[in-house]
Amino acid sequence: MARPTSRLLPARAAAAVSAPPRAKTSAAGRGSTRRERYGGHLGAAALMAPTLLALLAVSLYPVLRSLWMSARDTTLAQQTDSFTGLKNYRELAGDAQFWNAWKQTLGFTAASTLLETLIGLVMALVLFETFRGRGWVRAAMLIPWAIPTVVTSRMFGWLFDGQNGLINYVLVKLHLVEHNVNFLGSTSLAMPTIVLADVWKTAPFMALLILAGLQTIPHSLSEAARIDGASAWQVFWHVRLPLLMPSLLVAAMLRALDAFRVFDLPYTLTGGGPADSTETLSTLAYKHLFSGLEIGYGSTIATAMFVTESLVAVGFAVFIFRRLKAVEG
Amino acid sequence: MEPTPTLAHKTIHRRGFLKFGGIALGAAAFAPALSACGGSASGGSSGKTELTFASAKFYGKSNIGQIVEQFNNSQSKIHVTYRELPPPSSSTEVHQQLVQTVGRGDGSVDVFTQDIIWISEFAGAGWTLPLDDYIDASERAQYFPGVIQACTWQGKLTALPWFVDAGMLYYRKDLLDNAGLKVPTTWDQLVSASRTLQSAGKTKFGFLWQGKQAEVLLCDLVEFVGSAGGGILGPDGKTVKIADPQAVQAVQFMYDTMNKHGITPKDVLSWDEEPSRRPFTAGQAAFMRNWAYAYAIAQDPKQSQVVDKVAVAPLPAFPGGKSSACLGGYQYGVSASSKNKSAAVEFVKWMSSPATQLKFATDVGLAPSRAAVFDDPALAKANPFMGKLKNVFTGGTPRPVTPKYPQVTLELQSSVSKALTSGDIQGSLQAAKSNIEQRLS
Repeated sequence: MARPTSRLLPARAAAAVSAPPRAKTSAAGRGSTRRERYGGHLGAAALMAPTLLALLAVSLYPVLRSLWMSARDTTLAQQTDSFTGLKNYRELAGDAQFWNAWKQTLGFTAASTLLETLIGLVMALVLFETFRGRGWVRAAMLIPWAIPTVVTSRMFGWLFDGQNGLINYVLVKLHLVEHNVNFLGSTSLAMPTIVLADVWKTAPFMALLILAGLQTIPHSLSEAARIDGASAWQVFWHVRLPLLMPSLLVAAMLRALDAFRVFDLPYTLTGGGPADSTETLSTLAYKHLFSGLEIGYGSTIATAMFVTESLVAVGFAVFIFRRLKAVEG
Repeated sequence: MEPTPTLAHKTIHRRGFLKFGGIALGAAAFAPALSACGGSASGGSSGKTELTFASAKFYGKSNIGQIVEQFNNSQSKIHVTYRELPPPSSSTEVHQQLVQTVGRGDGSVDVFTQDIIWISEFAGAGWTLPLDDYIDASERAQYFPGVIQACTWQGKLTALPWFVDAGMLYYRKDLLDNAGLKVPTTWDQLVSASRTLQSAGKTKFGFLWQGKQAEVLLCDLVEFVGSAGGGILGPDGKTVKIADPQAVQAVQFMYDTMNKHGITPKDVLSWDEEPSRRPFTAGQAAFMRNWAYAYAIAQDPKQSQVVDKVAVAPLPAFPGGKSSACLGGYQYGVSASSKNKSAAVEFVKWMSSPATQLKFATDVGLAPSRAAVFDDPALAKANPFMGKLKNVFTGGTPRPVTPKYPQVTLELQSSVSKALTSGDIQGSLQAAKSNIEQRLS
């Protein structure tokens, strides 16, 4: 996708976009003496120290702490609290409920991220065009995202109710289905329904992130392409999309990491059921940690979540890095 | 305040100065407040024994705080401070707070109330004081036997009953009367009554219950299995009976209501109390299993199409079994680490006395755990419906009594939900049995 861009993009325009910041940094680097730089580093380190400490306290400490707890059999109710090494992990490896939740969480993450990015992209492209009332529409779009998820869940519970829900009413009236669809009470439909609810809620947010990315693309580029006779589709496919790719991928990564932790929708809509078909890692960890007060084993699940999520993040980062290189090169 | 100006003069710019000044002012404003707090806390000593009572929040015409105040005014030796916990709808939070305060064992809470399903967990951990020395057998006999069973852990009474709730059969009087049907006492009768009414077009659904993978599924399970003469765990709390023939028969029946008899929509697999209550009060169903709360809604013209057409009865049973009603409700516990145990026991006895239970029934709407209180004319006057529940509560059955209840319920929710969606009853229950045995060992 990037190759054609460099062919189509006027070389000078591309250089003009990337050159000024690069020139600036190198000038600053060359201008300072070694001593100034050393002093600068020390001062910078001193200034950064509080932030670093705060970061360590709120992000590193809990991770290490839960790692430590994951190797213990701590259960508040039974008053057990001793080091058990890898026992919890061995149990986890053979825990069918965990692996079921693990697969479903990854499936949910992939499906919701893909749909939200695509729909968000379409929405962003529409909102990028000038039309009357655009400001209002942009603001209104954030409403679904701003509603607390627990409220959204209740709303979706009513909408998708298998007997008296609005969605079923409309589908039957339009003769799209013959009988009411049991959206939340069937093992095959409950998860897709939750994905749908998540897409409704978060696609507008993705649209805004992508819109922000779109606005950083200079108008002159698409103008130049149009003058060269490119169609609207070509402008999008060869000019905007490649330049948008970095922000698109970053937005998708943020969304994927967030979707991976999905909790409130399944917890309030289905409680993880029917037959564990909507159990996610967060709901499973919550059940062990807070209903069962099994701090040890719950932490093991949380640690497994952390590892999986890190892998997802690294995967995205590598992919983004490659794309960026490809775009530049 | 004094060093600030000089500091500002030397190095700090205007914004920095404002910030420093702000902090100093803030600290100055806080100081009197802090000392005021200290003053009032140390001031309350008047020779009375101080107790702390922690309970989930319930309210109606009166609230718990007001009833505790009545105790404080009724005598001169003990003063109880009420610590309000979240409402029972956030029971996970209530549980967590109790574990953190009572479980600490420092005597900071003397008396507390606990959901009926936590009693064995707390007793197993040694947090609750056995009350056998204070409550004799004749006194125990005044409560519903199922509640006493739920309050007993390894032969010791570790909780004192407060109020009860239980599952019951709601039915449409008008439909049954018009069709000349009797209130069903067996599940077969319920199926045939439902099918008669459904095929005559009188009702859309026959029987609604709750199959959501949640705690409520376990309550429904206890009732179905109990009415077949089976159970989930044996009386020792270790033998797993969930794959016994009676349990399999009961779960098979739950599955059949949806798939064979067609009296229950499959949607119940995602329904807990409220989603199942709405179609019933909208006049779409002939029968429903639910808790006591649904009655008031069914009689409210704003929310119900079936005002004055609804009545309750004990749930039906299988031939040879007897009706069972899953017990709910909160019960009192005395903290084993309390420094004033005899005062604490005196307080819970007062709270659990017939007079106080009557007060909770008429003013807060909590059903008494003493059978005799139901016969009090004052209750019949204030809450006629509650007076009729005595026979429902008499058949009250506790949920499995084990300190590992949280693990057992999660396992059962998952496997019974699997049995109900897949139809592989025997296989799912057998798997549940071996998983639970592993967890209990």
